[in-house]
Amino acid sequence: MQFLDFHQGAPLAEYSFVVCDTELTGLNKRKDEIISIGAVRIVNLQIQLDQTFHRFIRPVNINPNKATLIHRITPEELKKADPAEEVLPQFIEFCDNSLIVGHFVGLDMYFLNKTARQVLGGTLSNPGVDTMRLARRYKDSGQTDHYGHHDHASAYNLDALAKEFGLPAFKPHDALEDALQTAYLFLYLIKKFKDGGIHSLKELYRAGRILH
Amino acid sequence: MAADVHSLAPEVVVEFFAKIMPFKELDHETLHGMARHVKVDFFPKGTRLFHAGETTISHLLFIQQGGVKSFITDDEGEVTLKDYRGEGDYIGALGIIRGTKASLDVETVEDTFCFLLPQAIFLDLINTQPGFSQYYLKSFSEKFVGTAYAELRRHKMTRRGDENLYLFSMQVGDLVKKPLRKASADSTIQQAAQQMATHRVASLLIHQPGRPDEIIGIITDRDLSSKVLAPGLAYTEQVRCIMSSPVASVLSQSTCFDALLKMMSCSIHHLAVERRGKIIGVITSHDITLIQGVSPYSLFKEVGKQQKIPDLYPLSKKIPEMIRNLIKEGAKSGNISRMISILNDHILERLLTLLEEEIGPPPVAYCWLLMGSEGRREQTFKTDQDNAIIYADPKNEQQAKEAEEYFSRFTRKAIDHLVECGYPLCPGEIMAVNPKWCQPLSVWKGYFKDWVSSPDPQEILHATIFFDFRSGFGKASFADELRQYLSDLTERHELYLLHLANQCLAGKAPLSFFRNFIVEKNGEHKNKLDIKHQGLTPFVNFARLLALRHGIKETNTLARLHVLAKENIIDESLWVKAVDAYEMQMQLRIIHQLNQLEIDAEPDNHVAPDELSELEKRMLRDAFEVIDRLHSVLKTMFPTP
Repeated sequence: MQFLDFHQGAPLAEYSFVVCDTELTGLNKRKDEIISIGAVRIVNLQIQLDQTFHRFIRPVNINPNKATLIHRITPEELKKADPAEEVLPQFIEFCDNSLIVGHFVGLDMYFLNKTARQVLGGTLSNPGVDTMRLARRYKDSGQTDHYGHHDHASAYNLDALAKEFGLPAFKPHDALEDALQTAYLFLYLIKKFKDGGIHSLKELYRAGRILH
Repeated sequence: MAADVHSLAPEVVVEFFAKIMPFKELDHETLHGMARHVKVDFFPKGTRLFHAGETTISHLLFIQQGGVKSFITDDEGEVTLKDYRGEGDYIGALGIIRGTKASLDVETVEDTFCFLLPQAIFLDLINTQPGFSQYYLKSFSEKFVGTAYAELRRHKMTRRGDENLYLFSMQVGDLVKKPLRKASADSTIQQAAQQMATHRVASLLIHQPGRPDEIIGIITDRDLSSKVLAPGLAYTEQVRCIMSSPVASVLSQSTCFDALLKMMSCSIHHLAVERRGKIIGVITSHDITLIQGVSPYSLFKEVGKQQKIPDLYPLSKKIPEMIRNLIKEGAKSGNISRMISILNDHILERLLTLLEEEIGPPPVAYCWLLMGSEGRREQTFKTDQDNAIIYADPKNEQQAKEAEEYFSRFTRKAIDHLVECGYPLCPGEIMAVNPKWCQPLSVWKGYFKDWVSSPDPQEILHATIFFDFRSGFGKASFADELRQYLSDLTERHELYLLHLANQCLAGKAPLSFFRNFIVEKNGEHKNKLDIKHQGLTPFVNFARLLALRHGIKETNTLARLHVLAKENIIDESLWVKAVDAYEMQMQLRIIHQLNQLEIDAEPDNHVAPDELSELEKRMLRDAFEVIDRLHSVLKTMFPTP
């Protein structure tokens, strides 16, 4: 396993992260599928805009449904897209040995791994970091100087957090744009956290770990 | 479909650059091509991006969101603010183009997201895109060029029209051209004079015999004429008899402006320049005036030369123009008001001196008091007269009558001349010409005693004007004595201070719960903020109250805050915040008034938030929030039962 000998104490700037987001046909874990993956790489704690990934995936079941309305991907676009067995290996290659970052990343990882098992017979071994958890820790630590906002469940969705922290805004429900928005949130959180931010992988994991 | 992997033009970057010069001129392909090389970084508020002279600039930074300030820090930690940059602005271009390290300190004043364009890509655009290099060179010369831009500056020096840009950008170290000339304190006057003649210099530093590095004094050619020739001193006397000691000095990285202020406030013409603890040379006021066109110093000198009062009128009217130049050079508001005070004081001094010559000397000694913003040295363009006279208690009735008659004549004339000089009458008649405010010292003590012991609202209003008094001309010891008397009074009258505290707390920061500005709803100043009363006065009141409570004799708000912090009465972080907030608002106010003067409008304090940039609005909001912190300090110090 390439991740076994990770030095968790090394500075974050030495790791590479892939911030990703997936669009799905729906949220039913049994029958729904990934139809789009967007991702951007963070190296040296800077978003590398020349290293983005954005692909549509042709699902096994192409039925227009409610989710289509949200992500605005038309059935025609999906019909033209490559199947998962072609796209997923490219995505895995893109991820390489980066850590995967996502907003509520458990869901994305579930569907990525489900698809990977189906088409490749294995799962992604990259450790994941959840920006939603990071945001929760950040807000719980009482460091936000934003007032007039109150804590309730919906305040943890990506748009609401972006607004609350005053981040530049992206178009929602487009996998790449959401990945970029998440990347901005990730940078914001790790640098604002505690005095001077989160410095090592260990600290990051303590705050936002979901896997491994 | 494989083509869309990694190749997506990041829309957010393209949109950003398509809006700003000179990138918006690029063709579609080039723009997308360069956009792909951009990185995004995030810097929390307070992050130091560049250290002057240290940071190697690897990327050109574009502010996507947030804001930064650039400034210069000297050896003593004194900071001179140079510029604010906000969304769409860039940082670091000059360093990349010239291949030098950062020339200014840069720090984020907001949480800031930046697009980073790698140096190589930027240089490629400069070399290949028509108009790119011109754009940046032009914007450099239009921006206020920082202290370290020595090369660029020398290049520009030869051109006309740029003369007034150097007071702030030039360091005194740059002015030291001639090698240091010095003589031992035990050499004779004649030897020193010979040395000056040989090297064709007008001054000589004097060192301790046998220890050439220990500078203890200075002689100038003026000393030779006034202290040697005129009194007929023997040339064989030791030079130490005529030297001025100690030598006033400035650090080599001080700006010429600071040096000028020092010369003007000490009335000296020579300053030793110090670098790393060693004197490296001497600069004169002449050196500075040479690099300047119409300088504050030449104005200062002109005032001192006038022999007729009406000749002072046009000089005092030159002040706004001079201040305009200072602002253009990037002067901090604190410096500007200090400069205004020095010039106003100087005009007053000359005016009253000439007036005394005209109508004869006063029967008793007196002190001309300055109050209100003049007393605090916080004037901007609009300077009402707030003045008064304290005179010595007369010995007998005869003298009392003489004094009354003299000062009534004297003040009437003085006030009229001041009006002619452009200082409008005080609407509240707090002027020396008002017999109530032209009184012997004992009467003044009585006034203050009454105010402090029986506070009613009118008296508290007086406090805000009178308690910031300082001596403007004449016998300053009267003002000192009154200040001491007042300190003793207020330290014993906690109840009075409580009244003042309540008055401070009555004013609220002009921000709504959602951090919107609270502006006037109707009338002449609809949708405007009164930046003086709503924004600055709370700071002034706070500083005055605590100064009275702790017997601090300073009258200037920033100076009062500084003493309060040094004596741990307020904490360091509050001091820093309050100073930033106060200066930021002063700056806005001065620029607002300058703009009004440009269109011949009467300067006022009503600023429209809508006309401010996003960054200015945010900084103003932050400034207003400090008012709440000041109030909570007051509430802790003066708990209401």
